[in-house]
Amino acid sequence: MTDAPTVDVTLDTKGLLCPMPIVKLAKAMKGMEASQVILMEATDPGAIPDVAAWSKNTGNPVVHQETVDKVMRFWIQKA
Amino acid sequence: MSKIVYVHTGGVNNPERSATPIYLATTAAAMDVEVGIYFTVNGPTLLKKGVPESLIVPKFDGQGAPLRRFIDQALDMGVKFYVCQPSLDLHGLTKDDLIDEVEMIGGAAFNDMALEADQVICF
Repeated sequence: MTDAPTVDVTLDTKGLLCPMPIVKLAKAMKGMEASQVILMEATDPGAIPDVAAWSKNTGNPVVHQETVDKVMRFWIQKA
Repeated sequence: MSKIVYVHTGGVNNPERSATPIYLATTAAAMDVEVGIYFTVNGPTLLKKGVPESLIVPKFDGQGAPLRRFIDQALDMGVKFYVCQPSLDLHGLTKDDLIDEVEMIGGAAFNDMALEADQVICF
């Protein structure tokens, strides 16, 4: 995993619970071009395994992630 | 594309069992999985016109949401809803009594769907 890359789209899912963060992520990705990066913020306690599972199945890699004060941030590149 | 079929047997008498298969299906659709929910046994009672709006999916704090919200999320993500005739007969329902987004299939079509799917998950 590298440094946080440049962000094209941001998605705030803080306060939302399963399945909404993943549903909103999937919808946001549909409007993006290949190789663009989305920064998703989440507070759902299941977000880390959920984003990893979503990424594995959709082929859109998580290129960077961090957690600060219970807010998880994921940088995901559209494949 | 991977395929999952959810089988939903819960009905209006068990509101706490009503939404889970629907939101898991929504999540699967968000993961680029082709998803169908087969409502059988008591499942079709959840799809009777008016029920999704009035059935509240309970939450510990009393702030539950109507089932319609979960159904709309699923439909919006492309989840397909299926019922079969015998389970409608069980409850005196016809296709016209159900919300418009439901498709009728028979037992053979369901079994074919199950054979074609990567996973079948039953509730």
